[in-house]
Amino acid sequence: MQYFKDLTEIQQMIMVILGVLVFATTLFWIWKKIKPGPQVDELMTRTKSWWVMASIFTTAAVVHPAISFIAFGLLSFAAFREISSISKNARIEDRSIIFWAYLAIPLQYGFAYMGWFVPFLILIPVGMFMLIPFLLVLKGHTQDIARSMSVIPTHLMLTVFSISHLAYLLSLPELPQFNAGGRGLLLFVVFLTEMNDVFQFTWGKLLGRHKIVEKISPNKTWEGFIGGLLSTIAAAYFLRFLTPFSEIQALGSGLLIACMGFVGDIIVSAIKRDFGLKDTGNTIKGHGGILDRIDSLAISAPFFFYYVYLICYW
Amino acid sequence: MKLVFLIVIYKVVMPVLLKLVGVRISHKAAYQGQKQFIVVANHNSHVDTMALLASLPIRLLIKTHPVATANYFGKKKWLAFISNLLVNTVLIKQKDNALQLLEEKLKKGHSLILFPEGTRGKPGEILAFKSGIGVLLQAFPHIPFIPVWIEGTGKILPKGSYLPVPFEAEVKIGAATLATGTSVEEIVIEVQTAILDLRKREHL
Repeated sequence: MQYFKDLTEIQQMIMVILGVLVFATTLFWIWKKIKPGPQVDELMTRTKSWWVMASIFTTAAVVHPAISFIAFGLLSFAAFREISSISKNARIEDRSIIFWAYLAIPLQYGFAYMGWFVPFLILIPVGMFMLIPFLLVLKGHTQDIARSMSVIPTHLMLTVFSISHLAYLLSLPELPQFNAGGRGLLLFVVFLTEMNDVFQFTWGKLLGRHKIVEKISPNKTWEGFIGGLLSTIAAAYFLRFLTPFSEIQALGSGLLIACMGFVGDIIVSAIKRDFGLKDTGNTIKGHGGILDRIDSLAISAPFFFYYVYLICYW
Repeated sequence: MKLVFLIVIYKVVMPVLLKLVGVRISHKAAYQGQKQFIVVANHNSHVDTMALLASLPIRLLIKTHPVATANYFGKKKWLAFISNLLVNTVLIKQKDNALQLLEEKLKKGHSLILFPEGTRGKPGEILAFKSGIGVLLQAFPHIPFIPVWIEGTGKILPKGSYLPVPFEAEVKIGAATLATGTSVEEIVIEVQTAILDLRKREHL
């Protein structure tokens, strides 16, 4: 225990992530020995993918910041490519406009890297919100143009604007008496959002009775949601060493992450329903596409960012 | 020299570009143990040719020729030169005994990449197959065909566009098959069915 306390906050957090993964892997391994079945096989596939995702993410978070920005930029790129590909709303004439939309990604992450806050804030909701409809108008195909005008900026908001807030956490100015810094905050919000998904899934399987939004996501239950919420709040309390928060503020951040993660999850679920898909792709084994994995983060990341911003920097 | 070009392009540069653009190639193992074959695929984009060449193992790269129409690629001397050097094409004219050139290649033990639709169709549409593939497979019954279903490349770079835009696409390679039909028409239908059957195949 003494050894654990001697580590830096980031090293402690990596130990926590390792601990959770080792625990889950052992648990499912024993479960398979006792009672094999397709359900535990799926959980094992998912856990394997978690190992890969956690390694990639942790490496990206602790190496040189420039590499972290590139990694998040690529994540946004792949997510935007995925949603543009499966969307039935984008028209074939929108190809060249989507090309311009891609250019927002290096700009947005460039601003985040430089720490230029106002350009970072306005590039997509103000700049691209004007540029994309304007380019569509210049193209001149008016049939269904309003749909393209709304859909392309929304895709950018969901996959680029939101995720880039994770990267901007690394550019926030340092605070006195707070050692973990942006990396700590980044590990905190990503770990809690993903754990919240796992908690909700687990509580839902164990106790789930009353469905919340049956038509959109039949596996979401009140029991799962509330169990996940309480577990995430508890986890936020114990992991507050990664943040500059007081105890109350840490509890609040857990509540915010759990609720916003849930909202992101069902928004993407509804989009998938509209496209007639179960998963957004098959990039990650057992987890579907990239968007399936970052759905909760897409909403929780910006909310967490502004929570930190309002408490510590405003 | 040409081999060096082809290896650098299709084994180094192209895999990175295809990955970035979002083209996924599934089941490259289909080429294992095959020496000579005719790859037959549906056609929506120049990306199709690039992806199919990139899917080949190095030992087959120099001996595999995409079949292209001289009416388009042979119009200018420099274009014909480049498509021969960088894409390793055989150019055929659609009028006169076009298949003779292809038969010569097959007799030398080389392989072909053929798009039986004859041109790039609109995204998601498949045009009627030309009979050339049937004639070739009938004349060379010992050479298998490898069916390939390509989906989504028509959005990346459709006919008439010069600006590639990233979209997810998939190249599904099927198993090498010897044609069983006896008439040209039967073989064409057999090949077409093999390609369309791949549509439903889950990602491997």
